[in-house]
Amino acid sequence: MKTVKNKEKREIKRAKELDKSEISEMKGKNQPFELDRRSVYKCVQCGTCRSFCPVFNVVGWESANTRGRMLIIKSLLEGRPPSEDVLPSLASCTTCGICAAKCPAGVNPPEVVEAARAQLVKCGITTEVQEKLRASVITSGNSFGEAKDLTHWLSETERSQLPEKSDYVYFVGCFDSYRYPEFAEKTFKVLQRFGVTLLPDEQCCASPLLRTGFREYAEKVMKHNLEQIRKVGAHTIITSCAGCYTTLKNNYPEELHVISLPEFLAEHLGELKLKKLDLTVTYHDPCHLGRHNKIYEAPRKVIQAICTLKEMKNIKENSRCCGGGGGVRIGYPDISLELARNRLEDVPECVDYIVTSCPLCVRNLRDAGGDIEVIDIVELVAMAME
Amino acid sequence: MDITAELRKIVGVRLSVSPSELYCYSSDASQVKGTPDYVVRPKSTEEVSRIVKLAYENEIPVTARGAGTGLAGGAVPIRGGIVLDMSGMNRILEIDIDNIQVVVEPGIIQDALNDALIPYGFFFPPNPGSSAMCTIGGMIAYNASGMRCVKYGTTRNYVRDLEVVLADGTVIHTGSKMLKSAAGYDLTQLIIGSEGTLGIVTKAGLKIAPLPKTRKLVIASFENAEIAGQAVVKTFSNGVIPSACEILDRVSLQVLKRYDPKLVLPSEGDVLLFEVDGTENSAREAAEQIIEVCSPLALSIKLAESETEMADIWAARKLVGAAVSRLDPTKTRIYVGEDVGVPIKKIPELLKRAQEISEKFNLPAMKYGHIGDGNLHLALFIDVLNKDEWDRLNQVADLIHRTAIELGGTVSSEHGIGAARAEYMKAQWGPAFEVMRAIKKALDPKGILNPGKLGL
Repeated sequence: MKTVKNKEKREIKRAKELDKSEISEMKGKNQPFELDRRSVYKCVQCGTCRSFCPVFNVVGWESANTRGRMLIIKSLLEGRPPSEDVLPSLASCTTCGICAAKCPAGVNPPEVVEAARAQLVKCGITTEVQEKLRASVITSGNSFGEAKDLTHWLSETERSQLPEKSDYVYFVGCFDSYRYPEFAEKTFKVLQRFGVTLLPDEQCCASPLLRTGFREYAEKVMKHNLEQIRKVGAHTIITSCAGCYTTLKNNYPEELHVISLPEFLAEHLGELKLKKLDLTVTYHDPCHLGRHNKIYEAPRKVIQAICTLKEMKNIKENSRCCGGGGGVRIGYPDISLELARNRLEDVPECVDYIVTSCPLCVRNLRDAGGDIEVIDIVELVAMAME
Repeated sequence: MDITAELRKIVGVRLSVSPSELYCYSSDASQVKGTPDYVVRPKSTEEVSRIVKLAYENEIPVTARGAGTGLAGGAVPIRGGIVLDMSGMNRILEIDIDNIQVVVEPGIIQDALNDALIPYGFFFPPNPGSSAMCTIGGMIAYNASGMRCVKYGTTRNYVRDLEVVLADGTVIHTGSKMLKSAAGYDLTQLIIGSEGTLGIVTKAGLKIAPLPKTRKLVIASFENAEIAGQAVVKTFSNGVIPSACEILDRVSLQVLKRYDPKLVLPSEGDVLLFEVDGTENSAREAAEQIIEVCSPLALSIKLAESETEMADIWAARKLVGAAVSRLDPTKTRIYVGEDVGVPIKKIPELLKRAQEISEKFNLPAMKYGHIGDGNLHLALFIDVLNKDEWDRLNQVADLIHRTAIELGGTVSSEHGIGAARAEYMKAQWGPAFEVMRAIKKALDPKGILNPGKLGL
């Protein structure tokens, strides 16, 4: 335990040094807190979000719901000096976006919260967990601080046979690579037959940095990945992680053609020659694939090509967050797991698996300890290909 | 005395004095602001009683709060002190179908209560637009109602018994499960609508009603809001009592269509929505009668074709108040002057005068509301970064309030007085207001319960 803590401290120290030497960003407590005021003032404080915010449902304090967060951000805009006191509220949003889907006034709270987090970073107000995350990405190029590269799960032979140029590239992502390398292997095996290659030196997509407010650092890794994509000459990026998907699609400075693994699979169902399985499964919509990008039908099409789909109680736009996003899993693990347990209550009876298409969701729903196995959609596809 | 330590002894970690947390409890959906010194989230009547007793002994203001969806600052602690966040006391304690009643804690959300009653074939009829988030405690404190009050009445008509913590911490019951009682003052009715100034409600026994077999919706459009108002008067005088009767003026229609382009609503004029309920036959007959009565005045009139069409229209109607930013992102709905009411016969005149006031100050307004019970929601929206618009907004709100009083109406039909409309209480009530003051003094001699509200 002590060694781990020392390692974390070393990483934070190194990141801080890098901060001084490589990033010219101005930081400090006297920096003004600035945001697009209209995006905040659109909120009429009606409280509709209060009924849907999954974090508030668990925590119970007003500061833990979207309206509370908007009020706190408003107070900062109106001159209240930013302090650590705002972090439990602003850092505990999973950015699941159900508030945006329900907001009658058309406010987009995840965007506002992320922008506010970036301002707090600028003012030098961050949690230790945030700093640790930043340190990991900056020092190792991935969100777990792993020394191995993101394609470590490839054999030497596979690595040597990777096409240097391809129209399609599989963006693996930190989670699949380091926590679920079996997902990465299975995904690559499926995609390989379509001539898909990997980036020679993929780094974290920048999602954890962007969600937690480290925009300047995020730009650095995004730039690196863009150079890698250019090197391969790919016109399409395929990703199996909902977090990577939304980041590559919506946050990268250049417009990229990004498709999610479920979309790619749905488009190529005929070529995959999947056999029917005698299974009934349910599907959990990851927030960053579903609500944020409206990808609802593709995963369902893939599942229904293989087996029976029995829907959860709340689906698609109304789907409940697993608690894994927005830096909440790492920052507030108890709240995060409580959200996952609440989500498991939506699972219908008599299903063999809970299928999803995001490794963060897989982990959180698995850790929540339900009776039904949680699998990634690629595992279901792999079963149908055996 | 170290109040923080004393409060912590009662509620433990369910106390906050964090500046950010206190800020989140410093407003509701109105423009009233006031920061508390402490926020507590009690879990039982005993905790509430101990907190109020502590406040009484130390003369600290206590303001009860439900979901903070109020539109008059009723739950805003304008004199600081303790905010009691009652939303954690949210259990349904008893569903007593034999007596057609339920017993609930005040923090239960209105929709959650109705979801629990559906399997029994019953419902709690008062349904404000905020039913997805407002609490029953808040509804009792402000005598909330909503769209169906025209047939079903307001919260006041459904409360049988209240458990109330008085200013010194004493716990009383104001009624029983009896449908009627001739034994003394009706304290239940006194507490309803008292906005937390006389006591804190910790339990409520509520009457419920059987769900109607069917509902039908008539959608009619008119050349202007005034003619729509005449159609309402005509419908009622022909003996039809709809279960809801709503007006949506043309600006509201534009907003709704922006919110949900799929909505089946007329493309021109000001619109009335008449809902009728009952058995298939009685609802159909009532709908046909409305169509017959209103046709000579209407530009168009039709019956909603499906349950989904009807449900979509009602869902959108519930959210119209806040949705104006979708029409113009530089505008924000500000809830002032939004809840006046007049006798039904005066509705056309109120609509006409509201339009004149809005034009005089060059401030566009949506007009929608429960026209069937004389309650008009005038929705003013401004650029919040423009000071001049704020000034004009407040002048319009003031004139609207005074117009309602002049027409024999009320400055608030269902949202309450709070601090936002306190200045009009004397003008509306005259000498009766002194009786209210006397009651307040008798029940809360130290003035600790929600001070500064109701103009008391």
